[in-house]
Amino acid sequence: MLNDLLQATMLVSLFSAMIRIATPVLFAALGELIAERAGVMNLGVEGMMLTGAFVGFIVFDKTDSVLSSVLLAMIAGGMMASIMAFMAVSLKLNQTVVGLGLNLLASGLTFYIYRISYEIEGTLEIPRIETLQNIEIPLLSKIPFLGPILFNQNIMTYIALLLVPVIWFVIYRTRLGLLIRGLGEYPRAVDVKGISVNKYRYLAVVFGGMMAGLGGSFLTIGSSGLFVQEISAGRGWLAIVIVIAGNWQPGRILLATLIFALLDAFQLQIQAVGVQIPYQILLAMPYIFAILVLMGSRAKSIPPGSLGEPYSRE
Amino acid sequence: MLIPFLNLRIVRRQHETKLSQILPVLLALLAAFIVSAFLVWVSGSDVKVAFIALWEGAFGNTRQITETLNKAAPLILTGLAAAIAFRAKIWNIGAEGQLLSGAIGAYWAITTFPGLPPVAMFIVILLSSFLAGALIGLLSGYLKTKFNVDVIISTVMFNYIITFLLSMLVDTVYRDPESYYKWSPKIPEVAQFPLLLTKYRLHAGIIVAIVVALVIYLLIEKSPVGYEIQAIGHNPTASNFKGINKSKTLLFVMFISGGVAGLAGGGELAGLIHRLRIDFSPGYGFTGIIVAMLAGLNPIWIPLTSLLFGALLTGSLKMQIVAGIPVALVYAIQAIVLLFVITAEFFTLYEIRRD
Repeated sequence: MLNDLLQATMLVSLFSAMIRIATPVLFAALGELIAERAGVMNLGVEGMMLTGAFVGFIVFDKTDSVLSSVLLAMIAGGMMASIMAFMAVSLKLNQTVVGLGLNLLASGLTFYIYRISYEIEGTLEIPRIETLQNIEIPLLSKIPFLGPILFNQNIMTYIALLLVPVIWFVIYRTRLGLLIRGLGEYPRAVDVKGISVNKYRYLAVVFGGMMAGLGGSFLTIGSSGLFVQEISAGRGWLAIVIVIAGNWQPGRILLATLIFALLDAFQLQIQAVGVQIPYQILLAMPYIFAILVLMGSRAKSIPPGSLGEPYSRE
Repeated sequence: MLIPFLNLRIVRRQHETKLSQILPVLLALLAAFIVSAFLVWVSGSDVKVAFIALWEGAFGNTRQITETLNKAAPLILTGLAAAIAFRAKIWNIGAEGQLLSGAIGAYWAITTFPGLPPVAMFIVILLSSFLAGALIGLLSGYLKTKFNVDVIISTVMFNYIITFLLSMLVDTVYRDPESYYKWSPKIPEVAQFPLLLTKYRLHAGIIVAIVVALVIYLLIEKSPVGYEIQAIGHNPTASNFKGINKSKTLLFVMFISGGVAGLAGGGELAGLIHRLRIDFSPGYGFTGIIVAMLAGLNPIWIPLTSLLFGALLTGSLKMQIVAGIPVALVYAIQAIVLLFVITAEFFTLYEIRRD
């Protein structure tokens, strides 16, 4: 009896952690979904998340306002994305190299500004901020098992989960969604209708960057309360993998994100229990898993027809 | 070709001006320099003091020049690794992981055959580090040809995986029992690269790197495989009709590219660091990509651009001490150079006009 109870609480905490861990990647993946559906492969997600994490952290540290730090993190991600859009959409430069450049820029700049902001006389002060409180939703959180998993999370997690049906609705049930899909599948048709391909691609990429920034801010203000170098730790890249594995569909993207998050939650719990496995193997699991997932899904997945191709009339 | 919201159009230049290939690169460097000066100014430090310290830290005296050359050596190799892959439009951004893999491979070989005479040891180190990097590269290539897993993504994933592998090795089987730090014991003296000068740490790695640069130049420009690489790079679709086996070329390129990056790891292990440790590479794999882009993916220019970035890395140490500028600035500068360089290349071909 006691044993069963223990296992049930273990499972609740495992799945609750899964939902929390899924939050930042889900934001980034949904943003990337929109950018890719509009035909732009944004490989700068990692850098945009890192930027969001840093901006969210520093703004919260200075202002104590969740709203302004989240908003500024989104704006920062959006600004990075507009560089991406300018270089990839307008100048038609190679999207891989641009994305890589942005990742390196974010990695260098965030750490540089962090150092000059918190370094006093050559020693680094390591500030810690308070993280978002969980909000227990009345009644729903009392549902056995599911309640504490789904309805005792923080505000950003709720928003991320709600965003899945919203994005689904926009893509499949609105004119805007039709336009976005047109941009990715057959931009000429959009152009012929007199709608600017580049303008809407810009908007899609900037939206993606804002989502990545938002997801990034969760890493600092939503979960760790700290900023460390490279705090995004490949989550932006996982978001890109998840979009492919989810076959560019919001529902499957949610599923893929949850599987990755479960893996992460699982390895945290193994570490906490103190199983004798080198922790590095546990930390490497998501990246190994990402390759396995792509091996299984890449051949079957169908990307938007014009993904990664700059549009020109000629 | 509209830039949205501004009513600007991008048009191909009517008269392709006879700007040499160097001018856009120089302009990009100048722009990057200005942005860097701004970043230094933001930190509240004296810009002039900082840049003088940067220069002196890189070229101020013999010791600093040799340190710069030592930093250039791995950059030449990772730059070549990027160049050969990018020429074929294969986006290998895994040089960092391949470099670490090369170091691990060389360390394994050294500890497995400790009794070899120096010359044999030298060859074994080069071979083992090349192969260890090449196998990781080949694995990414195989994942592409067999499972259609994008090279960009698999190489990024391997960067993370191999970093954790290295961390695990120096924490377990290769851990130095005598030390508090998580690093391996030093490799024996017989395995250490010969020094080129007495009193300084300048080692044979730079010579290895320059020789490899010549080999890669000949491979790309003068060999049948190089022709295939360039054909795929110019036009991936058309090369299908010329009877080029794209899968085979991809595997070959990833093998060589990974191997050359692996050599950088072997060189760092045997030439400079002499042990495995978590902070084995300060991002040489990523800087190599920038070095290669700045050189226009031309192996002949890569030693020069590597020297520039090697200088930046060495000089930044003095800049930190003298002007209190965090070394992290260098990584921001590198990225800014990359973004400006690719933009500059664009403006040699196109111009912007108002509608």
